[in-house]
Amino acid sequence: MKEWVGFNFQQEIERLKELFGFDYVGIALVQTPERGFELKWAYVTGNQSERHRRIILQSGKGVAGLVFKTGKPMYIGDALNELGTNNLFNYPIVVAEGLKSFGAIPLYKYNRVNGVMLVGYRKNQGLTVEQFEQFKQEIGKKFGPFYDKEMVKDESVQ
Amino acid sequence: MNQFSNVDLSNLLLNLYGNSDEAIFFFNREGKVITMNRAAEEILDTDVYEQMMAGSTGAICKTCKGYTSTDELQTCQSCYMSNPDENISSFQVYFDTKGRGIIPYSASIQTIDEQFGIRVFMLRDLTQQFKTQEELNQKMMMQRVIKAQEDERKRISRELHDSVAQEMLSSLVDLRVLKYMNVDEEVLKKVQQTEGSLMRLLDDIRHLSVELRPATLDDLGLEAAFRTHFKWIEKNYGLIIHFHPELEAKRYGGEIETVVYRICQEAVFNALKYADVDELVVRLHVADGFLHLLVADEGKGFDLQDSDPQGTGLGIYSMKERAELVHGRLHITSEIGKGTMIQLEVPVLEGGNGE
Repeated sequence: MKEWVGFNFQQEIERLKELFGFDYVGIALVQTPERGFELKWAYVTGNQSERHRRIILQSGKGVAGLVFKTGKPMYIGDALNELGTNNLFNYPIVVAEGLKSFGAIPLYKYNRVNGVMLVGYRKNQGLTVEQFEQFKQEIGKKFGPFYDKEMVKDESVQ
Repeated sequence: MNQFSNVDLSNLLLNLYGNSDEAIFFFNREGKVITMNRAAEEILDTDVYEQMMAGSTGAICKTCKGYTSTDELQTCQSCYMSNPDENISSFQVYFDTKGRGIIPYSASIQTIDEQFGIRVFMLRDLTQQFKTQEELNQKMMMQRVIKAQEDERKRISRELHDSVAQEMLSSLVDLRVLKYMNVDEEVLKKVQQTEGSLMRLLDDIRHLSVELRPATLDDLGLEAAFRTHFKWIEKNYGLIIHFHPELEAKRYGGEIETVVYRICQEAVFNALKYADVDELVVRLHVADGFLHLLVADEGKGFDLQDSDPQGTGLGIYSMKERAELVHGRLHITSEIGKGTMIQLEVPVLEGGNGE
């Protein structure tokens, strides 16, 4: 793992934001087990509010919590219609950042989800399925210390 | 009775007959209508009216939809018209009225002139009373539903907390023991991962239990329950709640505390969902024998008269119903662009009952 100590998350998400023209990119990381596996937005760029600093998600809650729990990517093309006004508040980061279309992928480490990367636009249908796919290709097999389970056939690779 | 002797009784009776909203029919012994008042004419369909005036004895049956007996809501069994010697002081009858459909009436039929067998049949519109009755029933039902829901939540919450979570904790302890046994490095790693998953599951169960109904509310009271809840809101949604409890840790009985907690919870969730704010104020204090709750935000606000509310529109209704459970009052003030304020006052015995 030592080789990744110098990995600059902030720089990397800013590069991705530039490359795809995303409005917002954030990485939520699992806190230490002593703190009960909570997720916190550790690196963000393009944010319009500071609310993400206060949000600590439990597994299963919010975008990051869901992706964390299921271990599967999540894609929402039209947040308002797909999640519904009455349900939208359960995705606080989406509300706080005013995201209209977004996608999130799990970041694996030791065969477990260790983080979640969220990319999104503040306009409807901003993020298309094709673009989300391209984004996943760009991340590739490895992102810093993490890897993408879908890309790696042999799950024991660390 | 003498003092009334100079009153023009016949004039008064004529006015009553002509201007009353009660329909009055006079029948002869054969069941023919002799005359009827304006209110009676108004409820009859034109053709029924004409048949009646033509002297048809069965005309009334065209508009009468039956009366309420002990066996049936609407029946023609032993009709009130069938026995000319029977007086019935009150019974319920349904009439198909002109333009208003089938309406319930309270009716009476009695003989007023034995010699000529003249009977008077009077109808009083019951729609209003029925509506009141229905509203009352609905309210009682709603309150019972709220109570049942609260009891059920309490039961499941306790069950989760006391039995499921406890069992899980003991298996977690068992698993930890493995670490001190002579096991393979690889196995140990897997065990640690399983321990992590179990801990997460245990956390989930605890959160679920608290979400259903916080045990702190019963054990430690409003202030403690609110503090935990607001901390949870802040963590999960990033909403800051400025909480000002001025209760000095007093207790106010289970029902009152539940109502205050639930109303506040609903108000805070509404602010979270619709007000588009980052912070709000909650104040709790006692004055003049009332427990006051204030939830205020400076967000979007909404139109109280809006017939098409955001969300289900049930939230405010159930808040009001809950308040009435403990004889409390709920005031909602909101202005678009200025924010919303929810105020609740519940009468409490001074000093609380220290339950």
